[in-house]
Amino acid sequence: MADKIGVFICTGYGIADALDIDALCKVATGEFKVPFCKTVDSCEGLNLDSIKEDIKNEELGKVVIAGISPRRYTDDNFPPDVIVERVALREHVIWTQPAGEEDTQMLAEDYLRMYIAKVQKMEVPSPFQSEEAIDKSILVVGGGITGLTAALETAKTGYEVRLVEKTEKLGGWLAKQHQSVPTRPPWRDLEDTGVDALIAEVEGNAQIKVYTSAFTSEIVGAPGLFDVTLKSAVNGQANGEVLDTFRVGAIIQATGWKPVDPRGNLPYGQLADVVLNVDLEKMVKEQGRITRPSDGKEVRSIAFIQCGGSRDKEHHSYCSSICCLTSLKQALYLRERDNDAKAYIFYEFMRTPGLYEDFYRRVQEDQGIFLTKGEVADVTRAEDGNLIITVHNTMPGQQMQVKVDMVVLAAGMKPNSADGEAIRALEDAKVIVKQGESEGQRNDAAEKVEQLKQHEGTEILNLAYRQGPDLPILEYGYPDSHFICFPFESRRTGIYPTGSVRKPMDGLGSREDATGAALKAIQCVEMTSRGEAVHPRAGDKSYPDFFLQRCTQCKRCTEECPFGVLNEDEKGTPLLWATRCRRCGVCMGACPERIITFKDYSVDIVGAMIKAVEVPDEDEEKPRILALLCENDALPAMDLLGQHRLSYNPYIRVIPVRCLGSVNIEWIKEAISSGFDGAILIGCKYGDDYQCHFIKGSELADTRGENIREKLEQMAMENQRVELHQLQISEYRKLPEIFNSMAEVIEEIGMSPFKGM
Amino acid sequence: METAEGISQEITEAKTRADPQTTPVSFANGRLLIVDPDLDFIRTLGEQGGETLKKCMQCGTCSATCAISPDQRPFPRKEMAWAAWGMKDRLLTDPDVWLCFQCNDCSMNCPRGARPGDVLAAIRRESVRHYAVPSFFGALVNQPKYFPFKLLLPTVILGLAGLLRDPIANILGKEPETGTRIVYSYSTIFPHWLLNSVFLFFTALVLFASAAGVVRFWRALKSAGAREGIVTPVKGVFPSFRATLKSILLHDKFAMCTANQWRHLSHMGVLFGFLALSVVTFWVITSGINPLIRGDFIYPFSFWSPWKLLANVGGLAILVGCILMIYDRLRDIEQIGAGTYFDWSFILTLLIVVVTGFFTELLHYFRMEPHRHIVYFVHLVFVFGLLMYLPYSKFAHLLYRATAMVYAEHIGRSNPNPEVENSDERQEGRAQ
Repeated sequence: MADKIGVFICTGYGIADALDIDALCKVATGEFKVPFCKTVDSCEGLNLDSIKEDIKNEELGKVVIAGISPRRYTDDNFPPDVIVERVALREHVIWTQPAGEEDTQMLAEDYLRMYIAKVQKMEVPSPFQSEEAIDKSILVVGGGITGLTAALETAKTGYEVRLVEKTEKLGGWLAKQHQSVPTRPPWRDLEDTGVDALIAEVEGNAQIKVYTSAFTSEIVGAPGLFDVTLKSAVNGQANGEVLDTFRVGAIIQATGWKPVDPRGNLPYGQLADVVLNVDLEKMVKEQGRITRPSDGKEVRSIAFIQCGGSRDKEHHSYCSSICCLTSLKQALYLRERDNDAKAYIFYEFMRTPGLYEDFYRRVQEDQGIFLTKGEVADVTRAEDGNLIITVHNTMPGQQMQVKVDMVVLAAGMKPNSADGEAIRALEDAKVIVKQGESEGQRNDAAEKVEQLKQHEGTEILNLAYRQGPDLPILEYGYPDSHFICFPFESRRTGIYPTGSVRKPMDGLGSREDATGAALKAIQCVEMTSRGEAVHPRAGDKSYPDFFLQRCTQCKRCTEECPFGVLNEDEKGTPLLWATRCRRCGVCMGACPERIITFKDYSVDIVGAMIKAVEVPDEDEEKPRILALLCENDALPAMDLLGQHRLSYNPYIRVIPVRCLGSVNIEWIKEAISSGFDGAILIGCKYGDDYQCHFIKGSELADTRGENIREKLEQMAMENQRVELHQLQISEYRKLPEIFNSMAEVIEEIGMSPFKGM
Repeated sequence: METAEGISQEITEAKTRADPQTTPVSFANGRLLIVDPDLDFIRTLGEQGGETLKKCMQCGTCSATCAISPDQRPFPRKEMAWAAWGMKDRLLTDPDVWLCFQCNDCSMNCPRGARPGDVLAAIRRESVRHYAVPSFFGALVNQPKYFPFKLLLPTVILGLAGLLRDPIANILGKEPETGTRIVYSYSTIFPHWLLNSVFLFFTALVLFASAAGVVRFWRALKSAGAREGIVTPVKGVFPSFRATLKSILLHDKFAMCTANQWRHLSHMGVLFGFLALSVVTFWVITSGINPLIRGDFIYPFSFWSPWKLLANVGGLAILVGCILMIYDRLRDIEQIGAGTYFDWSFILTLLIVVVTGFFTELLHYFRMEPHRHIVYFVHLVFVFGLLMYLPYSKFAHLLYRATAMVYAEHIGRSNPNPEVENSDERQEGRAQ
């Protein structure tokens, strides 16, 4: 039964008016000898029941439904052992091409051929089953407000939690605060931080096991199978003693932040009475009053300098989003203690996100708090011991000076993260320094060691991953994630950075963030236990299969996998940690030996789709252009094209790919040798602010594209025949132009010489 | 596109651009002075109706919407910043504070409810008090707690004058002959000669105090201008005074207000009514020495006498003006501003003066005893108070606003748009 193919051709939506349905049926029954082909009025809603009925009665194992785009109707609910593929005749053919034309019919027939060929090769994926039981407990690293909240929220849903804090006490920065900015309407009054209650709740929760003065000295494994070794720490420093070993299913990294060091153009560290906001907070918390560090004098005036060391092009150019709030709060500390005290706040931009605006207004209305935009030019010490601040471009006038007892720099946040990839690179370089083959190689490596020296001993998680012991980071040291679309996701599956290690945020934001990360971690262990992929191919049951007998240990897969799925043995043979895998297929695209396959996605399957296209002879002057479109942005953009009835060149044949990174050069070769005249690869935007759902896929494809063009030249063909594009879903209107201009290029350089060979 | 809207937009932008104040906060001998905000001043402004001043976020909408603010260093944005920073010296020597007519276009458009119009009014109040000679009088007149004393003082002075009529007559030698034929006396207790003597004496004191306040203010303006190094007189003081007088009589600046378009009319009524009454009073008081008067000066005037008509029309103008002002204030507090003791005590005094005046007139026609004497006394007390408190009450705006306007004319700051030529278009733009 499993291989019996059935084809359903939908006549509704105007398909029958635009296309010759009988001819389509003949493609299935004639060319492909499909045993079952039927027309249906519609392929959604109640009509699905009749299709399901036919599947059951005819014992169909593989079904092609030619009608609407799969993205339009996803709630199919077909039996799990039946492969169903949908051909978007509506969106990709009749909505974009003139009805009744020969080219339109050819396009529809080719799509039907491609998908029949596809299902012929496809198999039903069976979910990955780990030999060992998947553990569903969650490890939370970091005991600040984020870690505490994450632990609590996870435990409340019934999962076991292990909370590891490297210092002696839970609470993090929150415990170091005197009071907190308002967290509820009317957003006017300072509040108790509530940290003690939160700690008590965590410590009293039977589901949570708390380890203080501890750190993770090693984490081996993968989602559902992380084996964690805890060692004890004294004052945050490792002292080697193993505290505990256990297994967890997912990890929440809530390692928080540290203040940026504003040393530089501001006189921090030179004048004793110039302090950081965290120092002032500590002073108020511990002694209840504000005194001057240099002489212990009661402070009656403070100047707050915003962006102290932040938002400077040279130095932490981002905004930490909480320093303005902190200064407003601390100005109130001073004013509450002394009704004649004066607090000055000099800022470039006062940033109080969301409803904190109301708190800003409340502070602004305090008669003794003076706010102005301005550039602090200078801080000097007067003879009487006070500090004189010179500010340019202020609001009351261009320049001004004020004399104060104390200056507080509103220092921003930087993440407590480690650059896993840099640490790994440092280790590699060190090995080369010792064992390098040539003098030059050893010198280069030594230089690299020098550059990366700062990463020495910065490990936090200590992951036993080939690609480094910590999460890969982005520009400012924040763990790589896709902030806008996929918060919490990191490039290490099952490890979710959250709170201010993910991005600068306040206490309220941290609580919210921690809750989100807890849900992601739970989702991860649950899906992993079912053998399904997590985001972004959530629920995908396929996984890569390595035919290792043919592996040449080239290491391309282990190096190029964006998620560090593969470790290596000594020889460089990839070791698959399947539960780390996101099923993007980048390894498949990388493998020159083509030994990596998914049951429902492989070099072979896509190759068959390419070969299924009927390429007309050269004299028919109907070129064929293969378009490999990323399923995440470019393919939905194709659907939008249809919805907006935007037409494009009819010689384009679109094949969706999981990620442009999964495109194997073999497919291009296949296309050229089958007589295609050109190929277009369309993926997501890459670079620093990448849109690629698999982080590096489209970037890798670009590199590989260069190789393809070289190959074309070797084959004595014009390299214009292959184009690579980046496209966001919102740019769907650019697609016809991309297609049409490619067709023009082909017209200019002529048909492929390989046609009909 | 030269649409009115476009121009309006352009002007708004130009003003916002010009707004970053081009002068240092406080410079002396080329040296930056340390700014030390005057917390007490901020508190006082708050008590005086400027409690919203700290809400300002310096967006500049106020300066952009103000119809009469100059394009160069426009107000009231900079004044709002100074007020929030307690820069008392700056504000009290700033002529712009007095160029504002509190039409409250700015307050109506302020996105933060900082009500710059009201804040400027509070600053003016503080100015009046600051420049008052003697200074304690400034506090006395403007603090509600001294109200009984404020009321009592003119009552006592006039009462004493009435009681001491005969001794005073003795001191003066005899009842002065005025050459006026009194056909019917308003009051035997307060004969004209007595009133003239007492009022003239106190008027002289008030004129002296007013002159002293004005001189102090003028000097302060001059020295502040010189300190900032931004002031170059463009017009002599006398031509400036003439131009100011014209502007005051025409109410041309006042009429530019959008939010309270009709307010200048009620003010005009009060002003011209007051001028009419002043002229008639002057005529009566100086009747004894007036060479223009041939023969007997018959007093009171007959109802159809031109002087009587002028006085009655003047009184009516004040009455209508006052009622309109009060109606406006009660009708829309948002628009006009809540009004303070400073404002209300002045308007009500004025109202009581005209109302008792008319009643006195009426009661006299009907010879109603003793009512006419009581009402007349009340009238006299309030007229006396109005006059005596001139340099300290809201009445003092007559002095300080005029002085500031002359100064603005003098330094070329009176024209809202001195450098841009499209003033007419500007008005059109604003009318949209």
